[in-house]
Parts: sequence; structure tokens; C-alpha cells
Amino acid sequence: MATALPTLRRNWLVTMRAYQWTYFVGTLATGILTVGLAYLAFHAIGGGRAGGGFAAAAGTADYLGYVTVGAAASMFTVRMVLWVAKAQITEQREGTLESQVLAPARRLPYLVGVGLQALTTTVVEVVVMLAFAIMIGVRLPAPDPVTLLAAFVAASVAVFGISVPLSAIMISVGEAHITQNTLFVAMGLLCGFTFPPAYLPDPLRWLGEALPVTSALRALRAATLDHAPLSVAAPDLLLCLALGLAYLAVGLRLLGPAERIAIQRGGSA
Amino acid sequence: MRAALRVFAAEGLKQHRRIFGSKLVVFSMLLWPVLTLATTYYTVLPVTEAPGAAERWPLVAQPGRLLAFLAAGALAYTFFFSLVQSAWHFSWERISGTLEAMFLTPASRMALVLANGSSALVQNAWLFGCFGLAAAVATGTLHLAHPGMLAVAALALLVPAVAWGAFLNSLLMFSRDSAFLYTLLDDPLWFIAGVRLPLFALPVWIKAIGLVFPLTTSLVVLRGALLDGKDVGDLAGHLTFLAVLSAVLLGATALLLRVGERHAQRTGSLQLF
Repeated sequence: MATALPTLRRNWLVTMRAYQWTYFVGTLATGILTVGLAYLAFHAIGGGRAGGGFAAAAGTADYLGYVTVGAAASMFTVRMVLWVAKAQITEQREGTLESQVLAPARRLPYLVGVGLQALTTTVVEVVVMLAFAIMIGVRLPAPDPVTLLAAFVAASVAVFGISVPLSAIMISVGEAHITQNTLFVAMGLLCGFTFPPAYLPDPLRWLGEALPVTSALRALRAATLDHAPLSVAAPDLLLCLALGLAYLAVGLRLLGPAERIAIQRGGSA
Repeated sequence: MRAALRVFAAEGLKQHRRIFGSKLVVFSMLLWPVLTLATTYYTVLPVTEAPGAAERWPLVAQPGRLLAFLAAGALAYTFFFSLVQSAWHFSWERISGTLEAMFLTPASRMALVLANGSSALVQNAWLFGCFGLAAAVATGTLHLAHPGMLAVAALALLVPAVAWGAFLNSLLMFSRDSAFLYTLLDDPLWFIAGVRLPLFALPVWIKAIGLVFPLTTSLVVLRGALLDGKDVGDLAGHLTFLAVLSAVLLGATALLLRVGERHAQRTGSLQLF
């Protein structure tokens, strides 16, 4: 806590003083336009209906609800990954990675602090996007509060988990732009944010299952669209948690060597 | 004229050395567009399978043509987006201090921004262009009125794209926050220009805003010429509009460059970032 809370406070200060609108508008635009695209396609092309194959593949006939939950989860994932995975390469670019290595603070609490700050800003962004979705007429049924809370926690662990090895990759190769965007477009295709992964060929589907975001999405949708009790969503929640923690463990193992490579290579990132 | 040609040659060489074969190009100009195209296709698939969808949009009856429609959108979007990306890189000149040096030389400012945009476009987009064309030929979705329409489509894509790139570069004379430009013109651009949806699906007010962006009309011409077998006569209205729009963009660029340079001389902002 001695590391996490000051990090949280510092990142809030940075956000309030610089870039706040760029980040806010950027995240919000992606979510709103994804829902907007689905809305227009649904009404202008589908005539207010989705094809028969969708309900079977998605487990719900509510196309707009499905995409809205996915778009919210996508905003959440992208923003969390951007903050947590890029925290250390940003330190490196700003010249403070060495200080971080010298300080007696551990990495996990530091990253938890970054993650908590990202969580607080992202929740605001997601709420604004959901307000937009409701305004244009998307109707989300009342969710099961316990399952929703569990899914939210599991999704946070999952996204935090995949961010840590990504951070190690970024500082060791000294590059963030290509790494992050490749992950985002790959997740967009594999994890089922905007369409059921059942549409994909089997090898791609399995690749998607290896990312905890896929099971997190299933749990989130079960909670919000199906009003599923905790017992029904439990297998997905456990899978998501297990995968997320596995990524986290691997990532924490990799961070040390990655920091050594980054510091040996020197300032350029 | 010779001076302008030398600017083009120098910028061309610079962009070639900087961009050609770089990892960023392979990822942002081939891998990302292809994956995004697949995601878009699957996202709209449920509504195209809805009962009666084929009456509202006949294209959906043939999945191959639907994919070609979206791929043409991805192709044009990639071309235009490569210019947003190059404008974003242009702002690095500011950081490395070479923007000020460029404005100290007697080189024509207009030639500078045009050369920067067009040579970045060539270095960036050839990969996806070749890929798109090869895919279209291989899948048999290319439907041309006559081979000359290929040139018309290419021009309708390249000329407005270069004008657009020059305009973006001139905007960066004023704004130092290039990340904002990047954010603002990434997602909203595909949405309002009908990249992933047919134009009839968009509300009138979005269509009206979309007309300001040359990508919208370029895309109408590209899809008409390459996929629907239309000839110059069918597309004359759109082509004229594109020509006028490109001219307006270039005019605005010239004006912005002049005002921007004067502003920069007064405030010394060219070396600030």
C-alpha cells in the first residue's frame, strides 16, 4: 500500500494536469462508434433483427446488447492495458526507470497503483459510453449484481494479468506502438468483443480462449444480458481468474530480466 | 519548378530511408488492416443474415461481394490513414528541430508538404494496395467497365489523399498536440466516411459531415469503378466533386501555411513541442 497509493495519486495528478481530454475523447470515441456502427447496421440493414445464426452462436438474440457490453469491455481492456503495460516504458522514456529500480519499492504494488488509477478513470469513460448507448435506444436488462461484480473483478485481474508480461516485452524491445496495437487488433478479432467467437475457424477460437479476456466477456455477458446466477457463470469466472493469474505470474518473472535488458540498452525507447 | 522537383526528390529519398521495409509499415499497413477487416466482416455478419436484409442491401446475398465491399473500404481507409500517420510523423520534425530548419530554407512550403504526404503515401500504402488488388483478382470480385477504370480509381484515391495529407501537415503548423489529431481522425474517419457501412445506412447529418472528407467520395468512386463496373460517365458527378474538394483542400493548405508561418515567426513556436 505504501507504493500503490502514492502511485495512484501521482497518476491522477498527471491525468488532471495533462492529456486528460485526448485520452478521454480517444477511448470514448472508440466505444461510441462501435455501438453506433452496430446500431446503424442493425436498423438500416437488418431491419431491427439479427440473423438466425447469431442467437445460437451468441447465446442471446439481443445483438445491440451483445455489442454494447463488448464495446464497454473493449474500452476497459484497451485503457487498462495502455496504462498498466505502458507504465514502465513511460518511466524509461521519462528517464525514471533507473530510479524505480534503485528504490526499495516492489513492482507489483507499483503496477497495482497504476491499475487502480486506470480503473477509476475507465469506469467514468464506460459509464458515459453506456449512457450514450441507452440514449440511442439500447436496452440492457437489469444485471445480476453478484455475478456482475464477480465478473468485473475477474475481468480486472485478467486485463491486469496480460498487461504485466506485455510491459516486460515493451521495455525489453524498447517499443510500445506496434506491440500494443497488434494486441488490440488481435484481441478485437479473437476475444469476441463485437461478435461471437463461434464464427471464427477453430484454431483462431482456441487462440482466443488462451486470452483470459474471452472468458471474462462470457461472464460479463451472462451477468448483464442473461441475469445468470453466480453458479452458472462460475466455470468462466474461474477460467478467467486462473488464466489472468498465470499471465501475471509469468509477467512478474519476466519483469526483472526485462528491466536489466532495458537499462543495459540505455536511454532510447 | 525544378526547385520543387528537388524538394520532391529529397523528401522521397528521406521517406524511403525512413519508412521502407520498417516494421511499423508491415504492421500498420498490412497486418492491422487485414485483422480489422475480418473483425468488421464478422461484426456486421449477423445483421446481413437477418430476414429481408437482401431487399434493403442486395449485396449481402453474396458474402464474397460483401467482403469485397468492406475490403475496398479498408483499402481506401488505409491510404488515407497512412497520411494521418505521416502527419503525425511530420510533428517529429518539430521535436528533432528540423521543422524550423525546413522553414529557413527557400524551398516552397507547398512543395514541402505535398512531397512529404505523397512520398509517405507511396512508401506506406503500396503493400496494402498490391495485397488488395491481388486479393480482388484472386477472388474474382473485380468488376471493371474497362481496364482504364483502374487508373481512374487509382487517381481518385491518390489525388485527394495527397491533398488531404498536405492539409493535415499544414494544420500541424498550429497544433503541437499531434496525438489529438491522430485520435480524432482515426475512428471517426471510418465511421462518417462509410468505410464499414453503405452510405444509405448513415443518417443524413452524418452523410453531410462525411462529404467534407475526401475519403467519402473517393470510396464511392473506388467501389463504383472496381466492384460495380461503372465507367467515367456514371461517376462524373463524384469525380467532379472530388476534383473541386481537392482544389479547396490545396487552397486551404496554401492559406494555412502562409498564416501559420507568419504566426510561427511571431511566436517562435516552430521549435516548441
